[in-house]
Amino acid sequence: MSATMQSSRTAVRARPLPLLRRQLAETWRGLIGWSLGLAGVVGMYLPLYSTIGGNPEFLAIIESLPPELVAALSYDQITTGAGYTQGTVHGLIGFVLVTIAAVGWGSSIIAGDEERGTLELVLAHGVGRTQVVLERFAAIALKLIALAVLLGLMVLGLNEPAALELSLEGIVAGSMALLGVGLLTAAVGTMTGAIIGRRSIAVGAAAGVAVLGYALNALGNQNPDLEWMHVLSPYFWAYGAAPLADGFDPLMGLLYAVSAVALTVAVIAFRRRDVAV
Amino acid sequence: MTPVIETRALTKRYGRRTALHGIDLTIEPGRVFGVIGPTGAGKTTTMRVLLDIIRATSGDVRVLGHDPRTGGPALRRRIGYLPGELALAGRATARSLLHHYAELNGGIEHGRIDELADRLGLELGRPVRSLSKGNKQKVGLVQAFAHRPDLLVLDEPTSGLDPLVQQEFLTMVREAREAGQTVFLSSHVISEIQQAADDVAVLRSGRIVDVSTVERLRAAARRSVRITVRADDRDALLARLSSVSRLDDVTVTEVDGTAMVHGMLGDGVAPFVAAVAASDLLDLVVQEPDLESAVLGFYGPSAEQEEQS
Repeated sequence: MSATMQSSRTAVRARPLPLLRRQLAETWRGLIGWSLGLAGVVGMYLPLYSTIGGNPEFLAIIESLPPELVAALSYDQITTGAGYTQGTVHGLIGFVLVTIAAVGWGSSIIAGDEERGTLELVLAHGVGRTQVVLERFAAIALKLIALAVLLGLMVLGLNEPAALELSLEGIVAGSMALLGVGLLTAAVGTMTGAIIGRRSIAVGAAAGVAVLGYALNALGNQNPDLEWMHVLSPYFWAYGAAPLADGFDPLMGLLYAVSAVALTVAVIAFRRRDVAV
Repeated sequence: MTPVIETRALTKRYGRRTALHGIDLTIEPGRVFGVIGPTGAGKTTTMRVLLDIIRATSGDVRVLGHDPRTGGPALRRRIGYLPGELALAGRATARSLLHHYAELNGGIEHGRIDELADRLGLELGRPVRSLSKGNKQKVGLVQAFAHRPDLLVLDEPTSGLDPLVQQEFLTMVREAREAGQTVFLSSHVISEIQQAADDVAVLRSGRIVDVSTVERLRAAARRSVRITVRADDRDALLARLSSVSRLDDVTVTEVDGTAMVHGMLGDGVAPFVAAVAASDLLDLVVQEPDLESAVLGFYGPSAEQEEQS
């Protein structure tokens, strides 16, 4: 009865990926904000390379700093364009911005929606739970890709004016490393939300992985006895092989592989449990 | 005919707490089936199991012939659901949200959303987060009815609606039934069920206490009666009333030389009217049967006391 009526004069048509499009439509304003922030950071720091990174007085300051601090911040490489870009943007403020965005996005798509009570009605319609997790995470991935592309284009545009001497491969690899960090963080937030359904716990888990990864990397930099910590650090997986200087390295692939595993766990867990109880 | 909803020994436990103790429900196609019970009786839990939002601990569930756990999106497209705790958030307009839900259900016919919104008096252009409780409820009703589902599952559907809109809702329910749709609705207000439903299940503490038709429930219900006579005639009237079976809770109030006698009548009207006819009545009021108290009777005396306290 209803089927024939619908097919004869359909006004609202079913189009592919409804949840992904919805997610983007609801959150694009936030993406604009993050993009402006990232562009501001890149546009502010990179042009200063010639006056900071290559400046002898500044180098003297760095030499006077405790070596542990210099190692933690990776400022030992700051005399090169790649080291400077890594130390200021990809490894520091860009990393922080992307991490915060990914924590918020990852924890909101399942746990946040569930806590505010709006997930129940979505699931009551013609969607599957796997579809909900995957489409919404795909929306996050697209937004992170947008940030990574923006970062890459900004670095490329400033490469010559700021005399950074980065290769194209290095620029792409640098963006891919930060993208991988963002995806992993968002995937951990999504996974935790899919398992537990509590936004605060999802935020804690995602932010915890990012902070712990940074800390393990910084400790691992201190001396050879602590280098084993690098193995556990997503931050090291991203930047340990110096992507801006040396281009792609398989190590970076760990970020993407672990993200995929986390997402798989998210789907399996979310399919099994009660929602909004 | 295959029932639209069939549950056998449906049980739901949360840790040590049991929300549903073996619910057996059979709802035939084309019926409007109401479930009534106090908050926490298990109405919402039962409905969420039907929609596969939560999963039964044990027991069998069939909705439109399918297990909700395996029916997937195809099954849920045939159901319209209004949650009891409807939450709508975000800066999206009501129209865009309703389009989104329609899309998830595989699309709907032209003008359907506008038609329903008009009927309920809902402005589609406003952001959902700025809508009042009543208007949010209208959005919830529109999304449940829009795709003309075979089954409507409505949890406290008239909550927050003003009386005129409630009437429109009842009309929509009647139309749905005439179109062959089945309606499963819940309420803690009996009058809502009384007006809308053919069948009633009374749910209490996760158990079905009774399944009945509204007519049978009405027959079992008590009526409130009020007789006004001159104060002088009071004792004679009370003497006659004492012969009326199942007239309880009699109270007398005297004001300015008149006596007002209140009571609850549990049996037929005829013997009562015959008994009071001999008195010189100033006024006589026999109210409609009070289903509330009939249902409270099913809840049992403890529930009645809780209600009163």
